Amino acid sequence: MTMALGAVQVLILILGAPLARGIIARIKAWFQRRQGASIWRPYAELGKLFQKEDLVPPTSSLIFILAPRVMFAAALAVAAFVPVLQPFALFGSVGDFVLMVYLLALGRFFLALGALDGGGAFGGMGASRDALISTLAEAPLLLALAAVSISARSASITGIVGGTLRQNFFEISAVHILAFAALGMVALAESGRMPVDNPTTHLELTMIHEAMTLEYSGPSLALLEWAGAVKLNIMLALLISLFGPWGMAGSLSPAALGIALGAYLLKMLVLMSVLAVIESSMAKLRMYRVPDFLGVAAALSVLAVFFTMIAKR
Amino acid sequence: MEFVGIAAGKVVSTSAVFLILTIVGLAVARRISTCVLLFSMQSVIITAQVAATAYLENSREAWVVAGLVFTFKVLGIPYAFFWLVERLKSPRDVKASTTPAQSVFVVVVMVFISYAAVRSYVFGIRVPEDALAAAVALILTGAFLMVSRKKALMQMLGLLVLENGIFLAALTTTFGMPLVIEMGVLFDVVVGLLLMGIFTFRIRDTFEHLDVSRLRRLRG
Amino acid sequence: MMVLDVTFWSFLALLGVIVPLLQLGGRGRFVRALSIFLLLVGILAGLAVAGVCFWKNVPVTLRLPSVAAFPLSLAVDRLSAFFLFLICSVSLPVCIFSTSYVTHHYAAEKARWMWALLSLFILSMAVVVTASTGLAFLVGWELMTIVSAGLILIEGDSEERIHDVYIYLLMMHAGAAAVVAAFFLYWPYAHGLEFDALRSASMSLPAGLRGAIFLLAFVGFSTKAGIIPFHLWLPRAHPIAPSPVSALMSGVMLKTAIYGLVRFGFDFLHGGPRWSGYLVLAAGAVSGLLGVLYAIAEHDLKRLLAYHSVENIGIIYLGLGSSLLFLANGAPMWANLALIAALLHTLNHALFKSLLFLGAGAIAHSTHTLDLEKLGGLLGRMPITGAAFLVGCCSIVGLPMFNGFISEWLTFRSFLYGSNLTNTEAQVVLPLMIGILALIGGLAAACFIKVYGVAFLGRPRSTEAEHAAEAPLNMRLGMVVLALACILLGLFPLTVLSPLASLAQLLVPGSTAPEEIYFISRVIPWVALTLLGALVVMQAVRRRQRVAAIWACGLPGLTSRMQYTSTAFSKPIRSVFVSVYKPDRTVNRLPTGQSYFANSISYRSQRTTSFEKFLYRPFVDAIVAAARQVGRLQTGNIQVYLLYIFLTLVSLLVCLRFLR
Repeated sequence: MTMALGAVQVLILILGAPLARGIIARIKAWFQRRQGASIWRPYAELGKLFQKEDLVPPTSSLIFILAPRVMFAAALAVAAFVPVLQPFALFGSVGDFVLMVYLLALGRFFLALGALDGGGAFGGMGASRDALISTLAEAPLLLALAAVSISARSASITGIVGGTLRQNFFEISAVHILAFAALGMVALAESGRMPVDNPTTHLELTMIHEAMTLEYSGPSLALLEWAGAVKLNIMLALLISLFGPWGMAGSLSPAALGIALGAYLLKMLVLMSVLAVIESSMAKLRMYRVPDFLGVAAALSVLAVFFTMIAKR
Repeated sequence: MEFVGIAAGKVVSTSAVFLILTIVGLAVARRISTCVLLFSMQSVIITAQVAATAYLENSREAWVVAGLVFTFKVLGIPYAFFWLVERLKSPRDVKASTTPAQSVFVVVVMVFISYAAVRSYVFGIRVPEDALAAAVALILTGAFLMVSRKKALMQMLGLLVLENGIFLAALTTTFGMPLVIEMGVLFDVVVGLLLMGIFTFRIRDTFEHLDVSRLRRLRG
Repeated sequence: MMVLDVTFWSFLALLGVIVPLLQLGGRGRFVRALSIFLLLVGILAGLAVAGVCFWKNVPVTLRLPSVAAFPLSLAVDRLSAFFLFLICSVSLPVCIFSTSYVTHHYAAEKARWMWALLSLFILSMAVVVTASTGLAFLVGWELMTIVSAGLILIEGDSEERIHDVYIYLLMMHAGAAAVVAAFFLYWPYAHGLEFDALRSASMSLPAGLRGAIFLLAFVGFSTKAGIIPFHLWLPRAHPIAPSPVSALMSGVMLKTAIYGLVRFGFDFLHGGPRWSGYLVLAAGAVSGLLGVLYAIAEHDLKRLLAYHSVENIGIIYLGLGSSLLFLANGAPMWANLALIAALLHTLNHALFKSLLFLGAGAIAHSTHTLDLEKLGGLLGRMPITGAAFLVGCCSIVGLPMFNGFISEWLTFRSFLYGSNLTNTEAQVVLPLMIGILALIGGLAAACFIKVYGVAFLGRPRSTEAEHAAEAPLNMRLGMVVLALACILLGLFPLTVLSPLASLAQLLVPGSTAPEEIYFISRVIPWVALTLLGALVVMQAVRRRQRVAAIWACGLPGLTSRMQYTSTAFSKPIRSVFVSVYKPDRTVNRLPTGQSYFANSISYRSQRTTSFEKFLYRPFVDAIVAAARQVGRLQTGNIQVYLLYIFLTLVSLLVCLRFLR
């Protein structure tokens, strides 16, 4: 039964991703005293894009078509790692965090190759900038996850969530605070939100992630947008499950599942509001300031690892 | 009241990590107002620690000290700083001589060193190791700020952070400072700040800038 | 077993004697084709021997007549079998590749020397890893250096080449001197320098001697492996060699140095002194980071791949260093895991690095250039080569489903266990290595996005790239074999991991097979199934597509010059790490003096080679100065020489007086 629930979790993460995007945009609009679009608009956009045909540049190769699909497949595989309603995920107990991070890297690798395959200038620009950011973000990501993994004495995601659950809510652990700060900053960088990258920009020279998807259209673009939304959803769900998993269902009774769903939605809403506030109040960093931003994340994650050693004594 | 006791205990044991977060923030901040805000956050945390210690040790002196710290360091001094920044009309930039990445690296190394140094000291003594190490880290950060930031206002702020560290170190090792010592230190700092405030105006009026590294023409 | 002995003898005889003789002495195309066929048969024989010894744990010993007091014998135990397997399994596709490459690039005379030296090269590497006495090891070592220098010189002997080969030989001999010294420090304890004697003698060595032996062996083998700061020869020698030889040098020859270090560190010295782990870890971290940073700045494909070899050797050293650290701290279980990770990465690197070098050879064959700035759009024109090269790129970056991922994953897991040690320095250092390995991996990914994207995707940047044709059949066959090996090893790693675990148990006594190897072998197929299943479903529901030009901002069309170049791609990373590169830039505007109305502007940015400037130059200058001082003894005056003889006699008499 837990396998079926695991599959349901994956569906929640994937099908709920456009909704998450819509809610964040709505909160941002409310914060900026605008009306804002409906929260269901991303679904309409995906539906529109799936109806259209794929436009392919004449000089491109198979990689151009393959890249969005590999990116989506990788996002799908990573979604199977993250626990949502119960402290268990389809790949969560057999796969560990290193595998998860490298699956994300697989998606990003092919996306950059697809961008370069377009044969235009913007693809190369986006790929080059994104290469810088993902290079510098990988070390803090792995170090922060390693810190929580060491403190939970397990490398699988399920094990880490279990370790955090066993901790008392009031035993605020220094490792977790530092790792949360580091992971939060990396999540902003990896999902391409402010202050690292502006997801709503229309100026090509300020684009990082958008520039890589500039040449795509139709179903390929839909898959790319959807994969990006899934990645954001996964990052948020990961933050919740690693650092605040209390409320997850321990059993399969409908009451427990209901509470778990409610707790999950509440925590997501809180995180999304925080994200919307950050996005509305900070300006986008100049690209050469992003290494400083990620350097702070790296320092925090190094400190988190260091504190695991202190905590063990 | 049991709950308050637990909360007080938690405050003492977890404040170290929040202080370290403010230290990292000070290392990367680019504007003076950000640094002042971080300093006031540090002072809030230290006030909470003093209050928690006062509650746990049942010492009335410590409550007075907590009140003093709050009035001066959380309200008074930051307000004075903001007023100074407003009046001086100098650029708000911190004028760091190291890049944020290098500063953060130095700060992390300093945190390592403070923990390593404190560890050998607390063997066998009932001192909260985290808080003492955070205090030493604050002292080192204050010194680092004074060395690496070229604005005169940042020298003052570095001194204040250093004093925060000294205060916290005294707090953790003596479990509630005698009031007299705290008053003395506080007045010392206030007078020092007053003097530095006056001199900043004089420096600005004479030299048209507040860049400490350019004051080398004062050599004889 | 008799059959194994015979097979091994035939491997040695074919590669060492028959093939070179046939190539150099025989006339006619039939004889040459026969000799190439015999070469392949010989390599297969070696592969069979290695396979049986490695998987079934059947040792083979061969005794040869001894020279003076030094016995000469070869033995294939499990460690040697693993490396022999590595050598033969990479040499086979490389030789298949060379059959096309050599016929297209060399005249008949040179081709014969090429094949003869190639077979001797493979033999020498096999001798190094199967030697069971010091003399055999050193003979093989020397032969490797000399034959590879010869192979480089076959390609051409211009002034630059000779200079680079000279530096190569010099550094290799300096390393060999250190290795010889390491062997000879055993002399008072194990006459004859047989490996069994060395192993048992290590129990009774004093601690200082153990440290000295380890240090000498480390320096000697690191010079061969290309660890920074001994890496100077790598980016000079690998790019100028012919592509199959580069593949062998980078993929296989560097691994013999790893073999030597594992032999000395784990087999003889049982872990070395307490500081050995930190030394190897530091060397690995520095080489990994600097290697990949230098690689990103390159736009010559072979030099870039050579620097990546430095990086991957650094990663192997990270695994070896953590294993030594675990051993020194009394944790054999995790030392086992780290050693397996390092050895598996050795095999993986051999496979994918030779694949990449063969791909570079195919590109050079079709476009006659290896400059990334002149390539582009090759995937459409060379589909098989492009697909194989993509597999190589994915493997070296360490993406899941390819073999590079397995060894990097194992290395990460071994670092995580560092937090369980009681030694506080190790507790902190090992998890922090996770960050360093992650940074190295991220930089490698950026570099290979650049390589593949600029060379194979987009529009061709020159006419040569536009008219590139697919590589000949044999070249494609060699590359495809290696690519398939990478994919299969990535999906089913247990085939190699379980014998590696038994091997590690031999080298690290007191440990059992770590459960991580079973763990990853169970997960990867599921992940692969999910990914491929998703891909298949998405392809099946594909809608129609139409070819349409991309938006060119209103211009009549995009040209290939409007794409990102390799230098442009790496610019953000180079700007962040500018303190490593310290470029010195010159901008020239012509005509001079009129900077606003220039006709042409040229920009040149050169990375300072810091090691040459700050380490080697002073060192060489000091030696030359010292030599000059000593040279003052040679005055050329006969009477001064007679005076020297007279002074020697007098001092001898004085010594004799005082010795009584």
